[in-house]
Amino acid sequence: MKTSLDGYSHLDSPLHRWEPRLKLIGLLALISAFAFVRELYLLPAMLAAALALLLLSRLPVRFVLRRLRYPGIFILALAVILPLFSGETVLLSAGPLALHQEGLLEFLVIAARFAAILAVGIVLFGTAPLLTNIRALRSLGLPSLLTDMMLFTYRYLHELATDLRAMQTAMRLRGFRAVKPDARSLGGLASLSGSLLVRSYERSEHVYRAMTLRGYGREPRAPEDRQITPRDTAALLCTLTAAAAFVAAEVAL
Amino acid sequence: MNELLALSVSGLNFSYPDRPGVLRGVELRVSPGERVGVIGPNGAGKTTLFHLLCGVLRPASGQVELFGKPVIPGEFRPEIGLVFQNPDDQLFCPSVRDDVAFGPQNMGLPQKEVRARVTAALETTGTLELADRPPHHLSGGEKRMVAIAGVLAMRPRLIAYDEPSASLDIRSRRRLIRFLQGSGETFLLSSHDLELVLEVCDRVLLMDEGRIVAEGAPRELLGDTGLMETHGLEKPHSLTPHTAPHHEPRRT
Amino acid sequence: MHLPDGILPVSVLAAGYAATGAVTWYSMRRIGREEDPREGIPKASLLTAAFFVASLIHIPVPPTSVHLILNGLLGVVLGWYAFPAVLVGLFFQAVMFQHGGLTTLGVNAAVIGGPALLAYGIFRLRRLRPASRTLTGVLGFLGGAAGVGITVLLLFALLITTIPAELDAAAERTAIYALVLAHVPLMLIEGVFTAMVVLFLLRVRPELLGEKRRPPEVAVR
Repeated sequence: MKTSLDGYSHLDSPLHRWEPRLKLIGLLALISAFAFVRELYLLPAMLAAALALLLLSRLPVRFVLRRLRYPGIFILALAVILPLFSGETVLLSAGPLALHQEGLLEFLVIAARFAAILAVGIVLFGTAPLLTNIRALRSLGLPSLLTDMMLFTYRYLHELATDLRAMQTAMRLRGFRAVKPDARSLGGLASLSGSLLVRSYERSEHVYRAMTLRGYGREPRAPEDRQITPRDTAALLCTLTAAAAFVAAEVAL
Repeated sequence: MNELLALSVSGLNFSYPDRPGVLRGVELRVSPGERVGVIGPNGAGKTTLFHLLCGVLRPASGQVELFGKPVIPGEFRPEIGLVFQNPDDQLFCPSVRDDVAFGPQNMGLPQKEVRARVTAALETTGTLELADRPPHHLSGGEKRMVAIAGVLAMRPRLIAYDEPSASLDIRSRRRLIRFLQGSGETFLLSSHDLELVLEVCDRVLLMDEGRIVAEGAPRELLGDTGLMETHGLEKPHSLTPHTAPHHEPRRT
Repeated sequence: MHLPDGILPVSVLAAGYAATGAVTWYSMRRIGREEDPREGIPKASLLTAAFFVASLIHIPVPPTSVHLILNGLLGVVLGWYAFPAVLVGLFFQAVMFQHGGLTTLGVNAAVIGGPALLAYGIFRLRRLRPASRTLTGVLGFLGGAAGVGITVLLLFALLITTIPAELDAAAERTAIYALVLAHVPLMLIEGVFTAMVVLFLLRVRPELLGEKRRPPEVAVR
């Protein structure tokens, strides 16, 4: 499970320099505004805004494209289903198949929203280390139960993925092949999952003991946040204005 | 002529995406009955080599042959067994007996044969009395021996032991050494425990930076202070000539 | 199995976030009341990571293979931590793999985490006969099957009622029924799998099923 989610968070760009809390507020507001968009006329503006942010972030194109690939499959499926089955105005027809105008337009809106929202999300989480973003969420008031769970989960994801790979290899070397969902295969995979749970549970007990020994659970120190500069605030105001403009335009049109 | 060899490795190269040159042109031949120790600093490529021998990893180039037949990555080859460095990676069934039976069952053996092999493997490793316990609750030494039993039950003709004495206490380690000395299988054994290598192996390979840099009889190779130190190792204490009474506290 | 960004109308997204917020809040209150969350958090987080990783295991269903959702099992093992765990897990899937999405996080968490809590509720019936392995297995099966079944039902209901512009109500209902029926084998697999894991845990580590801690067997020797 190779994840280079924040692999480019060391680059330098206006978006990398933006104070993480204000960046979270600004870009999440923009993402929400994009979710409002239904008007065809607004799609170019929305895509342009997303593209501008991507360019400004200096994230490599290949990195962005790789992240769009997986969810793109879902969108591709919609590209087939919607124009064929949704709507009444027939644009083209071949035998039993007919291409409908409403479905096609619907698809365009969905695809554009999808691309724009994802692009902004990639900018948001690609331009700062994930830990910075989680801390910013905490300092913005997300309950510590959630942020603590995020930090721990993130910390152990790779280790458990490595454990799982090693166990799967060991099973394969002893001839385990799951080819159909019969009792043997399911039983093997269930024991594998159960062992993974038991191992992580046992590790959590050690981790908890080691943490309490180092003072975990006492009142946490106030996180030292980065100073907010006028430039950070200006960027936030710009983004919020853009977000408001999208919502206003959508409501007005 | 290769049929005579248990293992033949030629021109083996391997890289991980983020780590180039993990193995660089490894050549290795092992005859049936040989017990070969593989030593070298952390990151020398010992574990990677073992995984390539079993076909867990795909080499960038080069070939591995087991008993005259090339190893195809991903193919099930019960004639080689791998004992993992961390026994927890290997043990996953709800009971020791099930775990040891796991391999033989996958080989499609009849129930009776599976039972016989399980009992035999548990006996050989001295773990018969643990048969009904969940492996997750055993001590480190017990887990190690059960993991070995799981591999033995498949009756491999060649076994690769990856750091078998890691984190064992003195008694478990001694038990492991006795077991290895008495075992009839051909094996490869990687270890930082050089005294163990001296006690159970009849040939040693020294690996560093993805290459086999030296090869020879254990006492000579491990006794070569210059060679050992060049590769970040130390000559085992037992090979230091015990002429001067350096064990007694120094008197002033 | 999770809805990506861009598909759902904003009203549904907002409702999803509202539901997720409410259930998270309630879960946190229950957690705070029942035990010391400082001890629970590391445990729940490691298990969350383990579930995240275990959901990568392929189950072969010729001619293809499927990933299990494991939300029933997650509910059974994590109890009131299940909902925050789902939320955290989905957050990582969204930002690491673009699997799901940021705007749909609320909807996805509600659709997957709600049934997880239901599975927890089902599994708690074990109190009736705590010693019975059969009952434990049956409840595990029901929890696993119900977890994925209700998730699938909610998911398709959402998709079909919100996306296509013009489909009549009868056709929508038929489509939902058909899609849910197509997932019955998956429900069975997930149910059997959950029952197997639960019985494994019962034997190896019953504390994971909320049983009183007993001294580990190593200590006895």
